[in-house]
Amino acid sequence: MSLYRFELRKLLCNKKTISLLAGLFVLYSLIGFVTSMFLIGSRESYRFYEELAADYEGSFDAGKAAWAKKEYEEISARYGTDSRMIARSIKDQPETMLALKYNEFVGRVDEYWNGTPPESAEEPYGIALLESILSELEMQGRQNTFAYTKFSGSLKVLTALGEPEFANILLWENLFVNWGEHLMQFLLFIPLAFIIAPVFAVERETGMDHLILSSRSGRRKIVTAKLLSILTTSAVVVVLYVTATFIFGFLPHASLHGWDAAIQSIPTYAHSMFGFRVWQLAVIAAAWLIFTGAVYSVIVGFVSSRMKSQRSSAGVSLAILFINVGLAAMGDGVTQRIQPLIDFGLANVTLIKEVFGSFKVFDVFGISISYPVMAILILGVTAVLIIFGIYHGQKNFDVG
Amino acid sequence: MELQLEKIEKSYKDKKVLKGISVTMGTGVYGLLGPNGAGKTTMIRIMADVLRPDKGQILYNGSDIRDVGDEYRAKIGYLPQNVGFYRDFTGRDYLEYSAALKGMEKAYAKKRIEELAYSVGLQDDLKRRCCTYSGGMQRRLGIAQALLDNPEILILDEPTSGLDPFERIKFRNIISAYSKDRLVLLSTHIVSDVEQIAAQIMMMEYGVIHHMHSSREYVKMMAGKVWLVEMPAEELVEYQKQAVISNVAAKGELMEVRVIAESKPTANALQTMPSLEDAYLYSFNFLSESKEAE
Repeated sequence: MSLYRFELRKLLCNKKTISLLAGLFVLYSLIGFVTSMFLIGSRESYRFYEELAADYEGSFDAGKAAWAKKEYEEISARYGTDSRMIARSIKDQPETMLALKYNEFVGRVDEYWNGTPPESAEEPYGIALLESILSELEMQGRQNTFAYTKFSGSLKVLTALGEPEFANILLWENLFVNWGEHLMQFLLFIPLAFIIAPVFAVERETGMDHLILSSRSGRRKIVTAKLLSILTTSAVVVVLYVTATFIFGFLPHASLHGWDAAIQSIPTYAHSMFGFRVWQLAVIAAAWLIFTGAVYSVIVGFVSSRMKSQRSSAGVSLAILFINVGLAAMGDGVTQRIQPLIDFGLANVTLIKEVFGSFKVFDVFGISISYPVMAILILGVTAVLIIFGIYHGQKNFDVG
Repeated sequence: MELQLEKIEKSYKDKKVLKGISVTMGTGVYGLLGPNGAGKTTMIRIMADVLRPDKGQILYNGSDIRDVGDEYRAKIGYLPQNVGFYRDFTGRDYLEYSAALKGMEKAYAKKRIEELAYSVGLQDDLKRRCCTYSGGMQRRLGIAQALLDNPEILILDEPTSGLDPFERIKFRNIISAYSKDRLVLLSTHIVSDVEQIAAQIMMMEYGVIHHMHSSREYVKMMAGKVWLVEMPAEELVEYQKQAVISNVAAKGELMEVRVIAESKPTANALQTMPSLEDAYLYSFNFLSESKEAE
């Protein structure tokens, strides 16, 4: 008899959780559908946009840039400069939308060559900016520093990636917003906290811990079974989210156009130093959400193993999530002091745009390690320590 | 097979619940008698390895159960005082889950579940959810769970609470038949539960085991200490404040009072045959008071 089967049933395959998952699927589908419809009003509008954009896809064109700039000036005179307000106002005007998107692209091309403004808090980006930083470091004789290695690496990658190209990635952009913004953290991680919270706490609440602790498998094998059920459940919830937002994000306009474009075509990933295509980023993003969802679920499992009730277990797990999000939302003065906590806290590390949207490297004993690799290492080590803590706790737990 | 408790102590905050319990048990049925709060459940939990003692150790065939670990727990069948259930589980699910926890092989577990469901009279109810069971049915399901893997050591905490008289008798018969070559520890405050089947009975109060004898020895110890006294009902009200009374029965105009006393309590008192219940009352009213005073 498999303990895992029973643990999975207690956590996932029961009426209560299945009903909750059905509700979540509807919610996630709605999120995908509504955000897609707000992006561009109808399937006909999208078709028209797709036809118009086909002529603009590819390398930078000065003539098209001039047209786009002129259009943008008219748009901002009419609707103001708030991008969200503009987006909402022109969602039924494909031509205007194209002008806006092309104008944004022109800005990205400019940044690629000339770099981000000096006052920008972002990581230095752009050929000219990186070259000037490097020559300044060379003048100071700091060629052997980590900063020099980092910026010369950035320059090398940026040169290899080449100038950004314009692509129609409208629907994919929406998908990556749904998968990588703070909304996702609440839509995905809050349900995870509620579903996983009972995993250990339920035994105390029902009194089943007596039976479990006095049994042959109650100190070690049960933990393995529970951990496997946690990982399965978390993967199911993430896959549900990813699938629903994907299907219902693309379904209204019945197009996957832009799937093979470079991720630098997506404004949020314009500064990314990863040479992924859009479809590759989608696969990586889904895997990343499954991975970070699993790590958070293991944290919830650990909390549950220390709590006497499901409610307190869910409460503490949510508090951990909100504290992370709250810390990341603090002003620069605070976040800069606790940068490692921010970089590897749940708020940032679960967002694909933070991890894959820029070129952040860490100096580990003189070795440059990229953000995703570092995040995998730190989250992996954290998860292993937590799992060890759960095993140790169960081994020594008593009902007193 | 031998299970040895060595100087077991346990406290909850400032209250010492077990005060250095030492006892050795072999095969056979052991009864653990004592009033509520005596420390029976704490002792049972420590033996079932769900609670760790502050001091002392339990030796299973000479080895500390902490060292034996999983292999010790594999020998145990444990029925806790309050059996827990999952909301969605049927009786069969509960037993199958218990079998999985005990690491039982699937076919064997299935066979045992059928056998035990029949033994405890739940064969027609296994498809129902446990939470819809009556208290007695839940208890019987708990007993089936404890017996599932033919444990070498069966530890039962208040097994008959919630059972009707017929179920109690049936339970006693199951345990008697089961106890050959095994250790059964049965904790209760109901004397009749252990009177017939326990080879040894431990009397426990204030975290101390005062005695461990057979039922017959307890009865023998009480020789000359149980009396029948006849008195009017009006006198009884005043009399019971100063005497240990194990039973009162109406006999015509008078009341026949069964009194436990070291010496003849009244001039008209007649000696009578003692029972285990008399020994229980004697133990907790005479002996433990002096021990507690110590």
